[in-house]
Amino acid sequence: MTDVVTTSAPHATADGGVRHAFLSRILADGLIAVVIAAWWLMSQRLPAIVLPGPWAVGKALVDLFTDPDSLMHIAATALRVIGSVVFATLIGAFLAGLTYYTPVLQDVILKRIQPFLGAMPSLGWAILGLIWFGVADLTVIFIQTAILIPFCLINFTQGLRELDTEIIEMGHSFTRSKRLIFLKLIVPLMLPYTVAALRLAYGVCWKIALVSELFGAETGVGYVMLQAQILSDATTVIATCLVIVVMFAAGDTFVLRPLSRIVAR
Amino acid sequence: MLTRGVMTRWSLATRRRWATHIFTVLVIAAWAIGSSGVPSYLFPDPVTVFHRSVEFFLGYKLFSHVVASVTHVLVSLTLAFLLGGALALMAHYVPVTRAMVHGRITPFLNSFSSVGWTLLAILWFGLNTGTVIFAITAIILPVCIINLQAGLESIDAEMAEMGRSFTRNWGRYFRLLVLPAMIPFMFATVRISFGVAWKVALTAELFGGNSGFGFVINLARQSFDSSQIFAVITIIVVIYVITDNLVLAPIQRRLVRHYADD
Repeated sequence: MTDVVTTSAPHATADGGVRHAFLSRILADGLIAVVIAAWWLMSQRLPAIVLPGPWAVGKALVDLFTDPDSLMHIAATALRVIGSVVFATLIGAFLAGLTYYTPVLQDVILKRIQPFLGAMPSLGWAILGLIWFGVADLTVIFIQTAILIPFCLINFTQGLRELDTEIIEMGHSFTRSKRLIFLKLIVPLMLPYTVAALRLAYGVCWKIALVSELFGAETGVGYVMLQAQILSDATTVIATCLVIVVMFAAGDTFVLRPLSRIVAR
Repeated sequence: MLTRGVMTRWSLATRRRWATHIFTVLVIAAWAIGSSGVPSYLFPDPVTVFHRSVEFFLGYKLFSHVVASVTHVLVSLTLAFLLGGALALMAHYVPVTRAMVHGRITPFLNSFSSVGWTLLAILWFGLNTGTVIFAITAIILPVCIINLQAGLESIDAEMAEMGRSFTRNWGRYFRLLVLPAMIPFMFATVRISFGVAWKVALTAELFGGNSGFGFVINLARQSFDSSQIFAVITIIVVIYVITDNLVLAPIQRRLVRHYADD
């Protein structure tokens, strides 16, 4: 009797689990199907400048990824995103390092620079960048780096705060060289936070890339989008939004997530 | 010799505080000196920017833009909170919908750009308040869902079970157990969303609005009125810092202390 109960109970839950998983899958993917169907139905009744159909947008998306001219724009945005993420991570690490090695400056960085950068709207940087540096690749990189620094800084200071003091103490008992402790202990201990900072910055950067390119660039996805908006070309506007989603997902899935798995090990 | 003695007597906290004040003064001084050599179009001086910022709170016309921006943010915040709350609750209490909300809706909203929403809203609704509110709401919605979900997940399973064993009345259970446990998270949600909304309102208003700070910036940009742009940015930063540090953060600390104790 008890045997039956113990063997049938997991079966029942496993069975329920399978049904549950199936149902939740249906709901999740069903939603996408419903949204696309509703989108298609609505686009039938509305003019294409208001709501283009999913088919037209999909075609525009494929065109954006195959046409050499627009590929150049996507590549320009991607390169600037990568550059800004690297700069912001380096500057964030440097500032966080300052709080660690020169405690006097801790409040300057955490109570002045960090809150200021955090409070600054991305559009503010976009306009300042345009005023100061004009339309150029470096302007966009400046804008994006300025926006990303607070995100990176928070991650690094968090990491330094959670740094195991006992391990560092042990390090001090082995060597007096600060350089050795930095290279052999702090850098490896901070690696997971570095990857977390990179991932966060990468995600934020693709989203704000459009803002920073709307004023400061003559290339890039943001530029393509603004041109489309001026021409009331809703198809391209939606397609460029999806380009951002695709590029973000691709970088995160194929580069950053594997990287964070390697570092976690 | 004497200074060294003083230096060592000063605690690290005091030196830190002084370093912070000196830094603030240095930045403003650098701003004043740096702006004196270049045309005000590139870098308006701090005094002018201060005057232009104060003007926003003295005249009716400029103040109406302040009111408009605050209204946009508050309305969007309310909408996103209610909508995000409904989705988070559904995902939590109807487990089959979890993959739909957290696996499809949230990631999609989260990876969509603010400018994208704004430009689409302009095509759909035109240049008006509705566009601005739609764009801000769409941007902070994932923030609300994610934070409220974290709150719901933090409710202790045993406590929830105990609650259910005391009453079958779902309303009572929700009001007496879930709601109090959620209050710190709800507040954190409001705090984070406010920050994002306040900053992103500028983008939404610049492209899609006919009032608010973003609209003012757009006009100033067209007439190369840099001191006006600096003034708006200054106000945005100051209001953000004041609300976050002097209002929201203290309330949150109290809430966390109050609800963490029992």
